[in-house]
Amino acid sequence: MKQANNNEVDLLLRSLARARDESALESGSSSGDGNRATSDHLDADELNSYAEGVVPPPARARYTEHLADCDVCRGIVVGLTSAAGAAIRSEAMEQKGGAGFWQTLALLFSPAVLRYAVPALVLTAVIGISLLAVWQRREQHELLARNEPADSATPTAQLKQSESPTSLQPSEAPATMPKRAESPAAIDSVKEENYLRDNKSPVAPGAGTRTGEIASSAPAAKDAGQAGESAGLSELRPSYAPEPKAAATSSGATTLNEADKATQVPKEQPAKLEDQERRRDMYKSTPSDERGPNRAAPRSTAAPQSNTGLDSLSAARVETYGQGKKDKAGEKANVETRNVSGRRFAREGNAWVDTAYDSSRTPIKIARGSEQFRALVADEPELRAIAEQLNGVIIVVWKNRAYRIQ
Amino acid sequence: MSQRTEQIENLFAEGASRLLARAADNHSLTGGMLIPRISVAVGKYVLRDDPHAAPEVVKEFIDKLQADDLCLIVACEQGNQKAWSDLVERFSATVRSAARSASSNEEGAEDLAQSIWAELHGLRVRDDGRPAGKLAYYSGRGSLAGWLRAVVAQLAVDQHRKQSRLVQTEEDADFDRIIQHGQEENAWSGHGDAVNPELEISKKLAGAQMRKALATSIKQLSAEDRLLVKLYYFDGLRLREAGAVLGVHEATASRRLTRVHAELRRQVEITLANQGWTKPETERAFSEVALHLEADIEPLLATEGVLMKEENEIAG
Repeated sequence: MKQANNNEVDLLLRSLARARDESALESGSSSGDGNRATSDHLDADELNSYAEGVVPPPARARYTEHLADCDVCRGIVVGLTSAAGAAIRSEAMEQKGGAGFWQTLALLFSPAVLRYAVPALVLTAVIGISLLAVWQRREQHELLARNEPADSATPTAQLKQSESPTSLQPSEAPATMPKRAESPAAIDSVKEENYLRDNKSPVAPGAGTRTGEIASSAPAAKDAGQAGESAGLSELRPSYAPEPKAAATSSGATTLNEADKATQVPKEQPAKLEDQERRRDMYKSTPSDERGPNRAAPRSTAAPQSNTGLDSLSAARVETYGQGKKDKAGEKANVETRNVSGRRFAREGNAWVDTAYDSSRTPIKIARGSEQFRALVADEPELRAIAEQLNGVIIVVWKNRAYRIQ
Repeated sequence: MSQRTEQIENLFAEGASRLLARAADNHSLTGGMLIPRISVAVGKYVLRDDPHAAPEVVKEFIDKLQADDLCLIVACEQGNQKAWSDLVERFSATVRSAARSASSNEEGAEDLAQSIWAELHGLRVRDDGRPAGKLAYYSGRGSLAGWLRAVVAQLAVDQHRKQSRLVQTEEDADFDRIIQHGQEENAWSGHGDAVNPELEISKKLAGAQMRKALATSIKQLSAEDRLLVKLYYFDGLRLREAGAVLGVHEATASRRLTRVHAELRRQVEITLANQGWTKPETERAFSEVALHLEADIEPLLATEGVLMKEENEIAG
């Protein structure tokens, strides 16, 4: 009902406006401000201020009163308002265009984008790190594979690389350097050293053989005998020391018997190294003045004579090595052994191990106090004595059988 | 000098200093050059309606003045040629655009634009020897571009008046003439094939009385509502445009118009009641007049609908 009433008023108002327009056209008047004097109209400043909405409220009410009755001023205000709106829109467009970069940036970091971008970035980072780790691991494997042969080389090669006299720095033996340079043998040894270093020959015996060949081909060694050759060889390679264990076994300072030696010496230790060690010890024990300064020294002595500085260094190194060897021997000497019932037992940790025991054999486990133990000691009184005298775990070989009593 | 006057003058001086400081280019103006302009603006917009306005209100008004535009105009008025060149360079496009909007043809627009610069500079000379142009009337309250558009529009109206030698009529006379015209039309046109001529004449007379009552009721509306009715019905603006003039949202204008409809109906009913109409007669007259007008306005509404549809398609 109310809406219908409003529609009726709306239609009446439209009719009134149309009739007024027609009347104005007939009378030739386009405005309805009557005989209002020009001075009564709003000036340009007021019209513009009104259109821009910057007129204070009291003044605005006054201007509104005028505009409601003055078609001319109202027409101008309408035009100015639409122009101001267009200007504002154009300014907004300019601002929009000017802020394009920042808007793009804001869109780039908007939650909608970050929702997908962050997981993607994290996934990419994880994949990248994984690939890097795999690559590095592969590199390490390659390096290990490359270094493995050198690492698995005999101590001869290792020592050759690390402790060779030719690897000494000039500052360490300045006085010896000219002599070294004059000595063809020394030159050869340097060549050999470089060769070995460059090629990192994994086969130590081969390297040793080659060293021997080179050494034997040296002019200074041509007149030398076989003994001198071997001595010279040991002089050239004073650090070609066998493993301390081997030294310990060769020194005979321990109480281990031959069977023990066989078990203690590392299997990979070449027997040749023991010979070299022995020869070097012989050389060490031989005084240099025994040969005399003018005697035709064997090849083995010629090199030390010509390499006095190196000799001293080598001697020092040998001495150091000898000290290490003694230490190793001391360790061996400290190994506790006991003889019980004609059997020799060595202390290995918490166990007494029969020196005749071969680790490849599997012992029969017998617990002390068990029925099996009682039966065994009843049959073999010597085993009872062993079990009583040795505490802890005992591994004993008895009648071709290994028993582990614990 | 009263304390109030001294206080106001201090406000003007301080405001002028702040205005110069705010301006990107103050054109070497001093505070003393701006104080008269500020004084006029404050008197026109603030003190005229509220002579005892608080200092804060005056201060706020001054601080909202367009510093750059006002300095430019004052500098032009002071005879600063660089400022004048700057004004022409920056606003010649605005003036040309406004002239094109106000003129019916390109030639008239060009003439109007040229005459604007002469009006701004001033063809006459004041007592102090400076040109008496329209530049003196810019207060800095609104934008300079808007003020220039208003100046162009006013100049166009003046030129139009001079050219057509308009005889302006009172708006009230317009309504009276409309009513008179309607009465004559209704009385003599013999509209429709009325079965009962007396009844038909009485209906038309009732319609004329209703229109007159409506015109009277419009006059009794508040200025804001009256302006809204004029803008919407007489100037043909859309609600959004009418709302923009009034400084309100389209929805607000719509609600206000609905309220105006109810108020107008109530006022018309009161007016007709004062003329001896009963309530049923008034309601029946509304219905019949509306029915009659609907038939007349239908083609117009249809045309408006087509136009609105086209506008929406273009906008969408």
